[in-house]
Amino acid sequence: MNETMTRRGALKGLAGIVGGLLAAPAAQTCKAAVQNGLATSSAPKGYDPTQHKWLMALDVNRCIGCGMCVEACKAENNVPDDHFRTWIERYVITKPAPGSGESRGETFVDSPNGGIGGFKPGLIPKEDVLKSFFVPKLCNQCESSPCSQVCPVGATFESPDGVVLVDKNYCIGCGFCIQACPYGCRFFNPVTHTADKCTMCYHRITRGLRPACVEICPSQARIFGDLMNSKPEDPIQRFISGNTTQGLKAHLGTKPRVRYAGLDDEVR
Amino acid sequence: MKMPPQIIRLVLLTVAIVCGYFTARFFLVPASFGQYGHYRGDALLEIRDREPFWAGRNTCDTCHADHVLKLSKAEHKGLSCETCHGPSKAHVENPEVQLPKLSYGQCVRCHESSPSRPAWLHQVNPLKHYTGQKCTECHVPHQPNEVPP
Repeated sequence: MNETMTRRGALKGLAGIVGGLLAAPAAQTCKAAVQNGLATSSAPKGYDPTQHKWLMALDVNRCIGCGMCVEACKAENNVPDDHFRTWIERYVITKPAPGSGESRGETFVDSPNGGIGGFKPGLIPKEDVLKSFFVPKLCNQCESSPCSQVCPVGATFESPDGVVLVDKNYCIGCGFCIQACPYGCRFFNPVTHTADKCTMCYHRITRGLRPACVEICPSQARIFGDLMNSKPEDPIQRFISGNTTQGLKAHLGTKPRVRYAGLDDEVR
Repeated sequence: MKMPPQIIRLVLLTVAIVCGYFTARFFLVPASFGQYGHYRGDALLEIRDREPFWAGRNTCDTCHADHVLKLSKAEHKGLSCETCHGPSKAHVENPEVQLPKLSYGQCVRCHESSPSRPAWLHQVNPLKHYTGQKCTECHVPHQPNEVPP
């Protein structure tokens, strides 16, 4: 076998490498195209995320604290025990001390098991309660979301239709986003070992269904709709035009796509 | 002017590194990256790719339009069928699958009185409100303003 390297041999080798490099991506593209064609995605085709803009609104005065939304979300999204994509908080504000001149006393907040199974009567006697109410919480789907900004691998992003999502194939489970969220809406999923959060039931809304919590809520405390494809008489448009709404922690500039009506100062 | 050999070597090395970077990038970045923004566009498809658990009121309406119509005439108009009747996907796929019978707990869960509940909601203390009788003896769940015959 001739071990010496000839000019012809070297050129042939080089051509082979270059040819291989050029052919490989073409092969990859073909493979990807074939895989796309064969993929058995149950997701209906024809949904264009750039043609929708989802918004959730919550009416604090309508929430009765039954906890059905929390259970509906758990069942819909296989949320592990002790973790929540949505939960309900009970606020109890006591009466001010007589003669103190204050408008209110202390505030107590609890959320036993996220509100699953409803709320047992509170520990504060009824006669000491100035006011009390329930507040449903979920991911605020910020348009300028701190969680996407801190993700070191680009696994979390704001989709064109206004939902903050996690790409589970890219997430490395570092937990930066869980710490960055000012609303405490993210958790580490012990089953998938990735960050997890409310997706506004992305698999439902892209099929024309309502999110599980909105579907199951018995008192219409949750209103949901597509701002790009709704008429003024649709629930979401009626709600937004007929109420003063606000996002949580507006001073952080996160621009939440989850709006609250009837919110008290104490809710953060 | 002849370029010094160490400069030529540096230039070649730089070109090799830059080429290596672009080659690696070409192979490693997924095709759908950047479709909508600085993330994988296919991630949207993957997140969509799961079956809904709750069937939804509109699905019930396709067969039980009479009940849905009756429901929509009174206070319970905003209720979804599955709020009380439970997950119905199995029943939608095979109508012979029966949904569980409803019990007292379904009514009390929302209508038990609580100081935290808003005033517009009809609330009762189950320990004092006609104890021992069934809710449905006096109230029609699909049309709460009606009294059963």
